[in-house]
Amino acid sequence: MEKLSAKSDHIYLGEAIVKKALAVMIQHNLVKFQASERNNNVAEYTMIHHNVYCLIRYPKYLYMIKRIYGTSEEILLEILLNLGQASASNVIFHSANRLNEANDSEVLSPSALHQSFQRLAQDNFIIRCPKLAENATLLKVPTLEIEEKEKFAVPNVEIEPIARMLKEKATQLGGHCDSEIIWRVNHERFDIELRNVILVNAAARRVDTTAGELYHLILKLWRESSNPDSPVTTPVSYNVIKDAVRKNDSSPILLEHFDHYLRVLYEDSAGLIDRAGDAGGGQFNLDYSKVFENLACASLDSIVLERFGSKALRLFRLTRIQKFMEQDQMQNVAMIPAKEAKMFTYKLLEHNFLQIKELKKGTSNFAPVKSFILYHVELPQVVRTTLEASYKGLFNAMVRQMHDLTENQRLLEKHAMLESMLERLKGDGVPDEEIAELSDTMPPAEKSLVEKIHLMSDNLTLGQTQADETILILESYLKFKSKEL
Amino acid sequence: MALKVVIKKEKVDDARPRQSARDDDKTEIEARILELLRKYPKGINDKILETHMPNLDIQIRVDVINDLLTKKKMKLFQAPGTNELFWGLNEQPVSIKLKEVDKEENVVMRIIEEAGNKGILNKDIRDQSGLNLTTINKILKALEGKNLIKSVLSISVAKIKVYMLFDLQPDRSVTGGSWYTDGEFESELVDIVNQQCYRMLQQKAEAAKLKAMDGPLIVRNASFLSSKEICQMISDMNIVKFNLTVEEIEAILETLVYDGKIEMRMVSDGDERIKTYRIVETLLSSAAIVRIPCGVCPVIKICGTAGEVQPKNCVYYDQWLD
Repeated sequence: MEKLSAKSDHIYLGEAIVKKALAVMIQHNLVKFQASERNNNVAEYTMIHHNVYCLIRYPKYLYMIKRIYGTSEEILLEILLNLGQASASNVIFHSANRLNEANDSEVLSPSALHQSFQRLAQDNFIIRCPKLAENATLLKVPTLEIEEKEKFAVPNVEIEPIARMLKEKATQLGGHCDSEIIWRVNHERFDIELRNVILVNAAARRVDTTAGELYHLILKLWRESSNPDSPVTTPVSYNVIKDAVRKNDSSPILLEHFDHYLRVLYEDSAGLIDRAGDAGGGQFNLDYSKVFENLACASLDSIVLERFGSKALRLFRLTRIQKFMEQDQMQNVAMIPAKEAKMFTYKLLEHNFLQIKELKKGTSNFAPVKSFILYHVELPQVVRTTLEASYKGLFNAMVRQMHDLTENQRLLEKHAMLESMLERLKGDGVPDEEIAELSDTMPPAEKSLVEKIHLMSDNLTLGQTQADETILILESYLKFKSKEL
Repeated sequence: MALKVVIKKEKVDDARPRQSARDDDKTEIEARILELLRKYPKGINDKILETHMPNLDIQIRVDVINDLLTKKKMKLFQAPGTNELFWGLNEQPVSIKLKEVDKEENVVMRIIEEAGNKGILNKDIRDQSGLNLTTINKILKALEGKNLIKSVLSISVAKIKVYMLFDLQPDRSVTGGSWYTDGEFESELVDIVNQQCYRMLQQKAEAAKLKAMDGPLIVRNASFLSSKEICQMISDMNIVKFNLTVEEIEAILETLVYDGKIEMRMVSDGDERIKTYRIVETLLSSAAIVRIPCGVCPVIKICGTAGEVQPKNCVYYDQWLD
């Protein structure tokens, strides 16, 4: 938390620039402010870490929305992400503009977009920002608040002014009725959605794709009835699930073997569904801490396997499942030759995947006492270490990408300029030979290098997304573990 | 002149077979000679024998002396000066020494017998019998030579030999069962059996998937195999020369469970509970982070924005991006 003056002192940029930067960050929900405790007239600014981290997930958000709804919702979300915080009319206006630029043939009516906007709000993907409190104008540092029931309520939007502006090809919407009601993207909802994707994939791997479908439906039911912050969902009864399956127009196999699928899922050892009781034909809920523990363990197993090999994996899992093991026991149960077992044990110990606990055998005060040396896996600690390493990996991928792009910046800029020029000329109808001549000014070696750089950059972006997935699982485990305690 | 008078003599019991007469005489004569030997500890010679037993037939005397010599009750030696042959009494009969050695052997044998299947270490024998370690080692060698005991390499105490009776089968804890030959752990055999079990379970799972139309419960239940069935199938395959027991197969299957490849479930079949196994898929195909070099980097700890190891010039990234 820092005061504005303190910030300017540190940064030496000049107060005006610092103010502007803060304003931009607040607009994009990265920084929040509140009145300082000591002095009510001064504002203190805090960074919202989670939202800053979620910047990397924006492409995933767009892909998900596109998959769940369609293009118009995707464009709405994209505009909202670009603007940070905006009113409904503004978002609809800009989206209509964008869509019209993309396909000139069809002109999308703003009312259709309004409906898409409502859909997004209904499913809680976008949320209203807190508005000025009543007595806010009296205070130097305004307070913001919002009531629970208003969070997702879409106001009436006047379509006609928007349609008019669109026709006039205006770039700005100007004043409108709901300009006081501002929306932003709801990151927590997207987190839930990302987690659900991982869970559904796990269910599909464990049983088959139809089970994945069923699980997707059940997750939806849980989300609608439970509090998002609780580590255990509220139970949902068998009859409710069956109704949902029937209504949802699922595959015939699911309808036919619905009982079996449910049974296979809740008897599975991964804990994807827990049977909580027998009322209403069976009550089913989900214990997030248990299922994310299993997922985190699966992630750790995979990392140990790739880094050290399958024998090390066997020792790691053995120690984790049996809680405390001695060296000799480990090599006997795992059926690994003594020398190799010792080597892998010490390697795992060195990289902090295994921990040691010493218990003394005798009680002599004089002679040195022999002790039992027990190996165990302290899961939260190992997860935290791996999480730090994952953050580092993500950061490294970003640094590398930045480095590659800045090193070849001159070349890339030249290429970009050439491309835009060629596009323009093509649009103007210049003959093909001249275009070919122009494009030859850049030698093919350079062109292939530019290709290569783009490819590398894409790979690194994908790599960052992958690192993000593991980070999500590990973070969720730690979050639910701390909640259950 | 005079008539030939045939005096009918009574048949004297001279008609006893000459041998037994000689035997009786012999023992008497032996006793007398031994007496003489004791009387004259320095030794007697033929002359003394003749004076004391004048009526002795030479042949008998020679026989008796030979007997005594073989029985080692007297010995022959030369007088230092005259080189005359003398007879002397042999003090210590060797047979008494033999008896003592036998006693020790018996003690050791008894201790080994008590140890039964598991055998016993030689220092444990020393503790129980109170004998010297070298003596024990000698005795053990002798007994082994007579094929009364044998030594077996024990796996628990790294290459130390354990002794047990010859015809006993060593216990599993000593030889380690089928996985150990001569005290060495056979990792290749374990790996082969491991892979075979896994493959069998895979085949069962694939066969079960064909029944997908019957529903997932049927598919799942059809993909289980019990440990007995697996043992039977492995024995039929004749990969190993000897038969594997169900416990050994279960040990192998347990390692597969710890690999995360299969899961175990107890099913009650009649009165007993048997273990059944089936293949399971992991929850994640692979942790996403391992797809970038940093996830599996061995030097991730020292990587940073400055110094030798940086993402800018990382060798692993160079390889990955090419």
